[in-house]
Amino acid sequence: MTRYKIGTFLKYLFLTIAAFVSVFPLLWMFISATNSSIDVLGGRLLPGSHLVTNFQNLTARANIPQAMWNSFRNAAVSTIASLIVCSVAGYGFEIYHDRGKDLLMRILLLSMMIPFAAIMIPLFMMVGNFNLLSTTTAFVLPSVATGFLIFLFRQSARYFPYELIEASRLDGLSELGIFIRMYVPVMRSTYATAAIITFMAGWNSYLWPLIIMQNADSRTMPLVLSNLIAGYVTDYGLLMLAVSISVLPTIAIFLLLQKSFAEGIIASAR
Amino acid sequence: MRKRLSLLLVCVLAFGLLGSSVALANKTVTVWAWDPAFNLYAMEEAAKIYNRTAPDVTIEIIETPWDDIQTRLTTAVMAGQTNSLPDIMLIQDNALMKNVIDFPGTFADLTNSGIDFNLFADFKVGLTSVDGKNYAVPFDNGAAISALRVDVLEQAGFTLADFTDITWSDFIAKGKVVLEKTGKPLLSIVAESPDLVMMCLQSAGTWLFDEDGEVFLANNEALKEVIRIYVELAKSGVMVQVNDWEQYISSFTRGTVAGTMNGCWIIGSIVQPEDQKGLWGVTNIPRLETVPNATNYSNQGGSSWVVRADSPNRDLAIDFLAKTFAGSVELYETILPSSGALATYLPAGDSQAYGVPHEYFGGQAIYADITQYAALVPQVKYGVYNYEARDAVGVAIAKVLAGLDIDSALREAEETVKFLMDF
Repeated sequence: MTRYKIGTFLKYLFLTIAAFVSVFPLLWMFISATNSSIDVLGGRLLPGSHLVTNFQNLTARANIPQAMWNSFRNAAVSTIASLIVCSVAGYGFEIYHDRGKDLLMRILLLSMMIPFAAIMIPLFMMVGNFNLLSTTTAFVLPSVATGFLIFLFRQSARYFPYELIEASRLDGLSELGIFIRMYVPVMRSTYATAAIITFMAGWNSYLWPLIIMQNADSRTMPLVLSNLIAGYVTDYGLLMLAVSISVLPTIAIFLLLQKSFAEGIIASAR
Repeated sequence: MRKRLSLLLVCVLAFGLLGSSVALANKTVTVWAWDPAFNLYAMEEAAKIYNRTAPDVTIEIIETPWDDIQTRLTTAVMAGQTNSLPDIMLIQDNALMKNVIDFPGTFADLTNSGIDFNLFADFKVGLTSVDGKNYAVPFDNGAAISALRVDVLEQAGFTLADFTDITWSDFIAKGKVVLEKTGKPLLSIVAESPDLVMMCLQSAGTWLFDEDGEVFLANNEALKEVIRIYVELAKSGVMVQVNDWEQYISSFTRGTVAGTMNGCWIIGSIVQPEDQKGLWGVTNIPRLETVPNATNYSNQGGSSWVVRADSPNRDLAIDFLAKTFAGSVELYETILPSSGALATYLPAGDSQAYGVPHEYFGGQAIYADITQYAALVPQVKYGVYNYEARDAVGVAIAKVLAGLDIDSALREAEETVKFLMDF
């Protein structure tokens, strides 16, 4: 009994320390958003009275609503587009039979191994030649079909009962109808997982928007944050407030889809 | 038929509108630069001055951090899409030569553009020219300063004059007294950052490459001397090493150290805490005593304006720079008081605005002093592999501090740079 208690105590102690280590930076960021730059540099850990000043300075320094909207629009469009394309692809890979599909899947998975920096220049050439610089289309195109998402949807489709498809076919449902009416509702958790992953990647994306979003009006939040630390003098209170604002949408979306996200991860790992 | 005709008309109209917007766009000069309080502000003021004589020209300034400019520049040149670049870009002096040599034809040759480069500080013109050709209009001044807390020096029985025109051994000896009496180190530095070493090296008129562009580390006596000084500063406690830039800034804004040594742009960070107003002073940096021709003057950082060679607005952009950054004392007088943006444009140094006492520095006319320092900075060539060599020196310093002898550490560093140069 005592040994059990000690074991539980140690377990909780370890988990508490681990939770503190992972939550502390976030907490410090929110606290620092209320402090002046000098206080932040001084390592102050208590909330201060500079939130309003920081907010006024930040709005004077950068167009935050515009950047938030740009980030949101880019991330949302890229999420919707890639969810449609990749889920259809993943479904097709699993449900329909073709001799070459496994080879094709392997090639797709290999594409995950290529770092973005390696394909950045040819992509930029394409986007430049199509006159798409500083547009959402340019942002979305490279991430519409990714090996990872197709793989995720294919893994999930593997556990989709084939009998359901056959029954639907007998009932006269078209192939597209089967996908939309049967597959999509059942795979809600996979969609949630894919949505969170793609949205976060789109929201935090830095290198690609950096080279294509060249107008001041098309700048996304990560680019604005980069501007805030590039001066000869950095206002850390203002910076922490900007970072705090920029993480809010991803936190909100994660909390909204948290349950489905966990289910989706487990389902795809089965 | 009528439908087709109307479609044709709409198309013609649309093209016409597009055409007129392109014609308008030709009068817009785009600029990429970083820091709104400093470079962007200077550019805005320059635009105002230029617009007096050319009201139909719009200067569109887009805030872009230096690292991002470099990434975009590299991508655009490699993708053959230089038309995605702006007409004017601000480039760090450290990287200018590498970019000019690596991307030939990208930047306009300004040698015969009518801009008089004799009116700029010598060292700066040296940094912005390659093979005798000028590729950039020099802008901000990175003249090195030694900024010290006069009140702390006084507690230890010194004045600012005791730290002016001195040698490094003198600085260390006095620094030890300050440390003993006040408990405060004189300097702080980001651990293993080669900035201070580079500054000392330039003060002796030497660099990491010789005149032929060959790497010059293993047999560089000045560099060995500088590293010896660095080690002594660190081991004596006169200089404290910190982990990152934020800690470096907070070390003097919180008053845990009694001074700092850097390019004069560091003043913007020094003047933040209200409670230290009037307590600071600025003087020149110590010199190397064993190296012939060593001076008390150097440079750290700084940037210059380049013009895109294939820009349709090339001549307009050059004219704009010639009439403002390379021709208007008024511009430098305007931007100095609020931004502290010090010019390397020598005629501006004679302006009255530079002689105005600075309250934060106890009424010292620091801008006039720093402009004098800038004129005395020895000229060096940073070279194409400047960043690689700097990094290698940073590693060498860490190894020496860990116990390796200086000769071996520099030999290793030289081999690393040679390997990277051959790569």
